[in-house]
Amino acid sequence: MTSAISVRNLTKDFRIGIRGLKLRAVDDLTLEIPRGQVYGLLGPNGCGKSTTLKIILGLVPATAGEITILGQPSATASARERTGFLPEAPYFHKFLSGRELVRYCAQLSGVSAEKVGQAVEEALALAAMTEAANRPIGTYSKGMLQRIGFAQAIVHDPELVILDEPTAGVDPVGSAAIGRMIHAMRDKGKTVVLCSHLLGQVEQVCDRVAIMDRGKLVLEGKVEDVLARRDRHVMTIEALTPAARDAAETALAAHGAKVTSVTHPRRSLEDLFRELVTGSHDA
Amino acid sequence: MKASLQRTYLISRVTFLEAVRQRFFAFLIVLGAAMVLSSLSFRFLDFGHGELKFIADFGFGGMFLFGSVLGIVMTAQLFFSEMDNRTALTLLAKPLSRTEFLLGKFFGAWAVLAVFLFTLSLLLGSVMWAREQTLLMQAEQRGLPPVNGLFSGGGMMTYALLQWLRMGVVIAIVLTISSIARTFLFAVIVGALAVVAGQLQWIAQDVLLKPTESLTYKAFLWTSSRLLPNLQQFNIGDALVLEPASVPADAIPWVVASGVFYMAAYLVLAAFIFRRREI
Repeated sequence: MTSAISVRNLTKDFRIGIRGLKLRAVDDLTLEIPRGQVYGLLGPNGCGKSTTLKIILGLVPATAGEITILGQPSATASARERTGFLPEAPYFHKFLSGRELVRYCAQLSGVSAEKVGQAVEEALALAAMTEAANRPIGTYSKGMLQRIGFAQAIVHDPELVILDEPTAGVDPVGSAAIGRMIHAMRDKGKTVVLCSHLLGQVEQVCDRVAIMDRGKLVLEGKVEDVLARRDRHVMTIEALTPAARDAAETALAAHGAKVTSVTHPRRSLEDLFRELVTGSHDA
Repeated sequence: MKASLQRTYLISRVTFLEAVRQRFFAFLIVLGAAMVLSSLSFRFLDFGHGELKFIADFGFGGMFLFGSVLGIVMTAQLFFSEMDNRTALTLLAKPLSRTEFLLGKFFGAWAVLAVFLFTLSLLLGSVMWAREQTLLMQAEQRGLPPVNGLFSGGGMMTYALLQWLRMGVVIAIVLTISSIARTFLFAVIVGALAVVAGQLQWIAQDVLLKPTESLTYKAFLWTSSRLLPNLQQFNIGDALVLEPASVPADAIPWVVASGVFYMAAYLVLAAFIFRRREI
């Protein structure tokens, strides 16, 4: 089976200023994004993530390189029929209601007239936007805009969903909701490509990650592989008394192992926040 | 083909809805209507021309002026709002070609101009018909011999259609400029200059008719006078409305053919340029 996205030796130069100085945004990037996984594209601001996504979607022409989406050359309408896209900080026509926007996008994406009603309701339900669907988009909060953006990206049941900074500016509750939507897409066998610099969230939702810096790929692999430190181990122990600790350290030392740190496990601030404000509504 | 037409229709529908909700549109249509109605108050300034002709010229002037402002500013604004707000990113990431997007913008803006021009034409036609009835009644009271009405409703409709065609050419030119331009202001200024140049284009054609020996000069004049359409050729309004019989039979088909040609040519050029634009 072909990859969801195949990028080979992609280079993108921008000409800037009157003198046409060359700025290399993407530098000889090669990536294979497998199907059915959540793939994180990480990197600092200006590292070329968004440019790469735009080139993949045919919004910006490449200077050099070859890209295919689901086995078809990118930038073709047929490739985009099977792709959904949520841009960074999405902005939609404020006078449309959420439902009208999703319907508009479904029709543009080629959903047939018989199926469009059901497709719209399913997408709204998955994005938890059914209740607010009749409100004008101009009244939506940032989190709701991201969720309605997510709904318009998936309404035509694409095989590949590309999300550019889907949680930028969204509170942790909204962020967790978007995380659940991403997992739901993966459970349906879809490929999700996520572009973000919120590392905590990427770690939670992604199967594989690629890290870019200054237009180049610096690391790529499964999340557990790239994060694991094979020479260190963590044990979580309940009711550890000083005597028990001494005994454990002595026993380990007898086998050549050494305890380097003993700390209390911590939950993340995000987990604590979500626990405390569970049930809050992003409206 | 059917899917492509539907996508173009969807873009044009949303473009139309976006445009008619703008205060700018409401402001110009009210201003245009005020100008048409005020022609009744200013008719004493008719400089010796017939009263109905003065009202017609005043109204046509308002329709052309405000219609051109609307066509230039609104088209550029509708195009750049999609670019600057990045709604174009969302739309063009769908199976929507750039040509469909551009045509959708064109037809949406053109539909807005249809509402503008036909509303004002209806108003102007009503004003002229009412004034004509008053004048005919006064003539009858003075014992003057009965005359047939001068005002032609069909001529007014033909005039409105020709103005709509003229605005289609203007919108196509502004879209071509917008597809190259980086800023809204640049598109508006160059678009306005192009319309002024189109209005004065007949001067270039006049120059071309003068005898000259230089083939290069002739070729230059011929090319430059055809790059922009002659927007003056649409100005047969008062003849159509007040003396329809005086308009040569082939005048309207020729104007329509010329307008359609320029509109299509500029749209093809705009689509060609827009295909390479980075969104």
